[in-house]
Amino acid sequence: MSEHPVLPPESTDNESVAARLAREAKRQVAQGNLKKKKLVYLELNGCSGNIISLLNGSNPDFEYMITSMVDLLYSNSLMAAEGEQAVQRLFDLAAGDEEFILAVEGAVALKNNGMYHLVGKIGDRPVTGLEMAELLGKKATHVISVGACSVDGGPSAARPNLSQSVGLQGVLDRHIIKLPGCPVNPDWFLGTLAHLLMFGEPKLDDMNRPLMFYSTLIHDRCPRRPFFDQGIFAEKLGEPYCLFKVGCRGPVTRTDCPTRKWNDHVNWPIGASTCIGCAQFGFPDRMAPFISYDTTKE
Amino acid sequence: MADMVTIQRQMDLTFAEINYLIRLMYATEDEHTKNLTLNQMWNKIAHLQFLNQLLVAASFQQGQAAIPLQNSPQTMLPDSTNAPTANNQMEFTREQLAQFTGMNGQPAYVAVNGVVYDVTNNAAWSVATHFGLSAGRDLTQEFASCHTGQQWILDTLVPVGRLIA
Ligand code: SF4
Ligand code: SF4
Repeated sequence: MSEHPVLPPESTDNESVAARLAREAKRQVAQGNLKKKKLVYLELNGCSGNIISLLNGSNPDFEYMITSMVDLLYSNSLMAAEGEQAVQRLFDLAAGDEEFILAVEGAVALKNNGMYHLVGKIGDRPVTGLEMAELLGKKATHVISVGACSVDGGPSAARPNLSQSVGLQGVLDRHIIKLPGCPVNPDWFLGTLAHLLMFGEPKLDDMNRPLMFYSTLIHDRCPRRPFFDQGIFAEKLGEPYCLFKVGCRGPVTRTDCPTRKWNDHVNWPIGASTCIGCAQFGFPDRMAPFISYDTTKE
Repeated sequence: MADMVTIQRQMDLTFAEINYLIRLMYATEDEHTKNLTLNQMWNKIAHLQFLNQLLVAASFQQGQAAIPLQNSPQTMLPDSTNAPTANNQMEFTREQLAQFTGMNGQPAYVAVNGVVYDVTNNAAWSVATHFGLSAGRDLTQEFASCHTGQQWILDTLVPVGRLIA
């Protein structure tokens, strides 16, 4: 038993665990027990979906939360600095001996030596995502891959993969905490970061995903599961039965979506349609088809 | 479709059984009985959940066709009315196997190490696809590369015959 057991009526479900972790980290920082660490949030080849998803987090909102836990040194979407000034900051970090945590969303485009994805320019020289991923990746104290593209290429690396994108691990030979999902849930990122700040790295599975968010097989906690067990399947979307026959990837995907849900915990994909396996390695190509009406008997 | 009264009677019954199991849990000291009781309770609650879902579905159902009650996929045996699945010793050539893609209402079969398995209702094979692989093929190599040493996976599948040549 821990020193401070969490007693009822405090909720012990996993969404409250994430919220508690983040709040506690913020409190510790405010009280001066925890020194603020520095965070670089780098957006590489992708759709910026993860940062949008993170900004969708609320109570408290993401920007407030993240800046009270860490010093956000760099974030394409959130910082005020721009242009050369911003890029220079990254080079300073790479050259200096400041400690920082690196979070990366998006894949690394390899084609033409990285020219398919630029993060900025120094003078006339284009600075590629590839260059930055390697430079900062080597230097950071911890690296977190945020979202499908960063974890293993994701949609950026989907066929025909014109930019020859790969996941961050493809260019970095070091330990990386992986948070798959397309996009990542704000709680998964904030919870992992808070844990990292207060207690060090959270427990990971053999694919380096934090167990506290990625250990539940969706199919095991799905509210439609009784219908699966009885062999009652929906033939089209909108029917309230198990979606196995129209293409549900819940049985091969591990996240806490069924209990955490999305958009402020209001609903989730299986609430309306199939799970497309966005948090499984190999998404999207290996999770296709997302939906099919031309399907098996019974 | 099961009528509301039947569902409700079943629910009442299940509640009574759960109450009984809870009392048993209090009374017993024996670890083994405790675990067994817990397990039964789990089953009862799952059943309750199903009945509840059935009620929800019943309201959705109004004006629609009956719920297609089928065999449970977990206990599903090969369909004995369907010629190729009639016995486990059915022989398949690669061409024959290729017809069982799971599309157009066909069952989904795959071969591993010379044995043909039915994955039609296997949870990991939604719409007869599994991590980009489709049914109707010999997947011996793919199985070996992803599930090395996981023979148990094959043991959970329903064999329907052998692959010849
Ligand atoms: S809807 Fe998907 S996750 Fe839910 S029981 Fe059916 S197959 Fe499993
Ligand atoms: S339910 Fe499936 S598709 Fe939906 S967010 Fe979770 S993992 Fe992604």
